Amino acid sequence: MRVNPNYTPGLLAALATTQKEEQKALQEMSSGRRVNVPSDDPTAAAVLVGNHSRADQADQFLRSLSGIQAELQTADSTLNSVVLALQRAITLGVQGANGTLSSANRASLVGELQGLQQQLVSLANTTFQGSFIFAGTESRTQPFVADATQPSGVRYDGNTGVNSVAVGDGFNVQVNIPGSQLFMAAGGGVFQSINGLIVALQNDTGMDIAVAGVRQAFDQVTAQRVFYGNVLNQLTSQQTFLNNSKLALNEQENQIGGADLAAAASQLVNAENARNAALAAAGRISGSSLFDYLK
Amino acid sequence: MSNLTGAMSIAIGALLTDQAALQTTSNNIANVNTPGYSRQRPIMVEADPVVFGSLTFGNGVVLQKVESLRDAILELRLHGETQQQSRLDAVVSAMRQVEPMFSGSSGDIGDQLSKFFNSIQELSTDPSSPARRQGVLTAANNLANAFRTVSGNLQQQRNNLDLSVSQAAQQVNVVTKQIAKLNGQITMMQNLHQDTSSFEDQRTVLIRQLSGLIDVSVIRSDNGLTLTTVSGTALVAGDRNFDIGTQMDVSGVLHIFSQGADITGTLGGGELAGLLAVRDQKIPGLLADLDTLAAGLANALNTAHRSGFDLNGSGGGDLFVPPSAGPGAAASFAVAISDPSRLAASSDGSPGSNGNLAALAAVSDQPVVAGQTPRDIYANLVFQVGNEVSNGLAELNASTLILQQLQDQRGSISGVSLDEEAAHMIEYQHAFAAAARVVTTVSDMLDVAVNLGRY
Repeated sequence: MRVNPNYTPGLLAALATTQKEEQKALQEMSSGRRVNVPSDDPTAAAVLVGNHSRADQADQFLRSLSGIQAELQTADSTLNSVVLALQRAITLGVQGANGTLSSANRASLVGELQGLQQQLVSLANTTFQGSFIFAGTESRTQPFVADATQPSGVRYDGNTGVNSVAVGDGFNVQVNIPGSQLFMAAGGGVFQSINGLIVALQNDTGMDIAVAGVRQAFDQVTAQRVFYGNVLNQLTSQQTFLNNSKLALNEQENQIGGADLAAAASQLVNAENARNAALAAAGRISGSSLFDYLK
Repeated sequence: MSNLTGAMSIAIGALLTDQAALQTTSNNIANVNTPGYSRQRPIMVEADPVVFGSLTFGNGVVLQKVESLRDAILELRLHGETQQQSRLDAVVSAMRQVEPMFSGSSGDIGDQLSKFFNSIQELSTDPSSPARRQGVLTAANNLANAFRTVSGNLQQQRNNLDLSVSQAAQQVNVVTKQIAKLNGQITMMQNLHQDTSSFEDQRTVLIRQLSGLIDVSVIRSDNGLTLTTVSGTALVAGDRNFDIGTQMDVSGVLHIFSQGADITGTLGGGELAGLLAVRDQKIPGLLADLDTLAAGLANALNTAHRSGFDLNGSGGGDLFVPPSAGPGAAASFAVAISDPSRLAASSDGSPGSNGNLAALAAVSDQPVVAGQTPRDIYANLVFQVGNEVSNGLAELNASTLILQQLQDQRGSISGVSLDEEAAHMIEYQHAFAAAARVVTTVSDMLDVAVNLGRY
């Protein structure tokens, strides 16, 4: 059979193919990615959409987590101060129960207790980034207001709402306890028990019951505080989990869409060799025809 | 009886034939790089013999004709494959321009989707924070913007394709006019029994060019060559060509007409068919999917938003402008509120509640259209676009290979080989020299015969 004497189109096509391969390998090596446009691997590109969004979400969970961590820590340390104040009140109550105290001494105890009461109200009105953290979800309203008509002398303007924040896929944590539950528990509460102690000291009667009331408030606050500690612990372990899953997602993304640099490099070398061989062959053939040998 | 003048006339005939043969060789060499040229060869036959009594003498050589070497069936296959290849090439180039819009880079719809839902999570940690509320609105605007940009770019791409459609249509008319003119010349020369091969070569090149633009079916008949599209629209009949025209329809898209009939949907090959397939099927398909996603997403988020309360305790309205039913939802995707305090984060009316944000964030994992979450729908779109291009590329590569093989085959039949021409040249040269020698010898002998009496 006669062969096609015009080898140029075939040669050009072969050169174009090797050039395309070279470019593809180069792009993979320089971008570090195997999937640069969806057509490089449509299935992988679709999987990567979900992968990206999950990695972004893990980042967001971590940001949310550190945001509420700060708020929870503020609440926890505030409650620590509340516990210390209540301890001091109990000490003062025990002192006052000692029948040998003069009325002047009792008055000075009353003075200190009134100071403690004010401090407790102020602690209960603690804010974090402008929001009252013990107001339920009425975070823009000061929750505890002095009100002489109340038996405790303090009125609660917050609500009983609680917020939850997602810190993982389907993992929500409660981030607040309403102030009413912390400071105004049924059958006593912080403010009412201190008020009771002040009244008992002033009247020099019923001291033991009043001190027991403060103790009960102390126990109540301590018990509630455990919630914050637990949530903070959960957050710490969730942080580790999220960091691990971010690593896993990155790893997965690399496996799906990342370039195999060794493979890309050898592809590049192969393409280069093929190209050089084609060029060398072309240079050799094109020189001669029978005409060159005619004299 | 044989005679010297007979020998002389045979030798002179041979000289003329060899010269003519050398001329075809020279013409082949001259056209070695001419596209579409089919090599020619001289067909030499023995002249009718001369009979003297019981003896029969050969009477030299006659150049019967100069023949062009071409395979008509192969040319038809080449036309057909060119139509496929050009169509696929047009589809792949157009879709390649669509692809970057879905390339998963930062700022594409998928990215903005996850940024939007993340901004809601961010707000849930401090629902009354003005900065975080603004963050959600900004992310919502970016999301809406991404939808509008992609849908606008796709629409723009359709308009650009219309430009190419009208250019290709004009080119079709230029080429068919040239083919019709050549047809006329070829018929005229055939009537005069002249060799038409060089015009046929030119016509084949033009039909190949036409095959790159539109689907062509070639019908040969006694009175010339007829070209139609595969579905039967006449392009060239004999020395007449039928122009195709373009006209804009009410939706602003170009339609292709031939003799008053709309042939837009009937084209199956060539660049035009590829351009029209992308313009009328592939891009509208993507736009429809985007619209469905935009509408489903906006409706689901609006429903969730309306069930909450804003920072001032008022009931939440629509977060996004309610999407129009049918096409255009992506192009008109827009955020309905501009005041961050109007974001309905609260589930009970208190400013610090984040209860409704959970409902908004949940849309991310809810089926919004046909049982699919927004992310799944978008991932599917990315897959569709990628698959379209990668399948198109595979088909294009296959078609290009076939075309190369056919061209190679054509070259093995019609291509000029310089080695071959050199060999023929030597043959003709030697034959010419030998015939010239015969002339000299006969001349010498005649000389002897003329001077016979003098010796």
